[in-house]
Amino acid sequence: MAFNDLREYIAAIEKSGDLVRVKREVDWDMELGAISRRNFEQSGPALLFEKIKDYSSEYKILNGPVATWRRVAIAMGLSPDTSVREIYAAYEQRRDKKIAPTVVQSAPCQENVMTGSQIDIYKLPAPMVHDGDGGRYIATWDIIVTKDPEADWTNWGMYRFMTHTQNMVTGWPQATSQLALMMKEKYLPRKKPMPVAIVIGCEPLCHMVATDPYRPGENEADYAGGLRGASVELIQCKTQDLMVPAQAEIVIEGEVLPDRIALDGPFGEYPGYRSGTMGEGVLVQITGITHRKDPILTLTTLGVPPDDSSIAASLTAGVAMKRGLKRRGIPVKEVYVPPAGVTHLIVVSVERGGNRVARQVLDYFTARRVMVSKVIVVDSDIDAFDMDQVTHAFATKCHPGRGITVEHYEGRANALTPCYDADERRKLNGASVVFDATWPDDWEPEGIPVKSSFATTYPEAIKQKVLAQWQSYGLGAKR
Amino acid sequence: MKKEYVTFVRRLRDLNEGKEVLFIKDLTPGPRKYDTKLVRANLSRQADKFPDGDVLWIRSETGYLHAEPWAIKVIEELPPYVPGQPWQDLFVAMKQL
Repeated sequence: MAFNDLREYIAAIEKSGDLVRVKREVDWDMELGAISRRNFEQSGPALLFEKIKDYSSEYKILNGPVATWRRVAIAMGLSPDTSVREIYAAYEQRRDKKIAPTVVQSAPCQENVMTGSQIDIYKLPAPMVHDGDGGRYIATWDIIVTKDPEADWTNWGMYRFMTHTQNMVTGWPQATSQLALMMKEKYLPRKKPMPVAIVIGCEPLCHMVATDPYRPGENEADYAGGLRGASVELIQCKTQDLMVPAQAEIVIEGEVLPDRIALDGPFGEYPGYRSGTMGEGVLVQITGITHRKDPILTLTTLGVPPDDSSIAASLTAGVAMKRGLKRRGIPVKEVYVPPAGVTHLIVVSVERGGNRVARQVLDYFTARRVMVSKVIVVDSDIDAFDMDQVTHAFATKCHPGRGITVEHYEGRANALTPCYDADERRKLNGASVVFDATWPDDWEPEGIPVKSSFATTYPEAIKQKVLAQWQSYGLGAKR
Repeated sequence: MKKEYVTFVRRLRDLNEGKEVLFIKDLTPGPRKYDTKLVRANLSRQADKFPDGDVLWIRSETGYLHAEPWAIKVIEELPPYVPGQPWQDLFVAMKQL
């Protein structure tokens, strides 16, 4: 069953033991971030901060809505103990379903409205997330809504935004993002500002859809409905021609300016580093702020995994990649994006391996903008979700000379990849590598090394006997 | 009492003494901390250079904090933005001011 709003979801994860309310006063200036970060690094519960220094108790912050697989499962209406593979399967099954949104005339997200001279972003408790960030990041776990002025395309993405002045925020959607594509193709040539809505605090599946790399032209609101199994309610913004989720906690309405810029960043980003992306973003003039009574600001204190980004993107990117590889005719069995690899490291298992297939996999990942830097291709007998099996295959089957293929590219690399130097990051120059941990397809079967494991190296009769008598050997219950 | 600000540069060597245009963030505690201004200001490596000036902390593009603050004397406050296109290098654009 779909959650109607963030508050219903909070009630659910509180009931399941996956939420802690922090009742004592916490400073928005780094203390809240430090608590949240340490909690992430212990795979702790979601934290609802109920008393924030300098702000009345009507303002709250929720850190880490889906930073564990348990919480992702709950968000999807599954049992909290659902396995990662099953969560992937459920997401894959729902991913292409569409349910059109429903337009409503009044909404909780507009219970309070600031326009004109009333606009003051500092009325919201934007946290200073990490020491050394360029500012107070009010939008980390968000939905950024923009609209193509010529086509029926409203894009939802997830990008960072920080406070700049009382009525301005700056942000950094990557220069290769869909927001950038829309701005560069549809607004900049006309020197027009682009309407934008920064939506904070929806039920989690809407946010997860915003992290999913649907193709340009696809309306994520339709897919959010499909994923939820229920239409998303939308309402017209107060000051911009945009529709936003009606049940959101906070909406910052504004315009991306075509002819003015200001400082954004740096920020401790999803790869787990503050690697120097600064001063190459966008400036938004705020035209309105609306919010619910007692608004809850959703936050993900990004950094080393796990956090909401590494978990949510593992799922949404992994399923999208599998779909893309299949479309290219690659014999993919499974794709797993290990959260520890922060979407830089991908595992692909294939029904038929060999160097040619590995090359095709690399070609897929480097065809357009490139967010992935390392891909391990394994045979289908390897469980792609089991990193011990993947590491073993990589260590033993990837030829150090023939098994590694590197592709270099310019102008479309991931500016957040920490191993790139400052010049590479600025010019978006980079490289990706595929590690072919499959057996070559031209090896004769009788010459392929045989894996020495219980499952692969004994006759069936022996295995059955051992399993049947396992307890009698004094080795505990049959497993 | 002197106010404290922080500014961001790509590298410390990019910042010059004398008259400069730069974004500064107000470090005065309270709900408006880190509010940003674009200013024309006199800068000096000597922290006590301007008796009626303020303190300027400097961070690099990775947020690295330089240990020694500079002195800053704000000459004028400018509108809080620079002419330029989204995704343009802000520091290059600021050189035109």
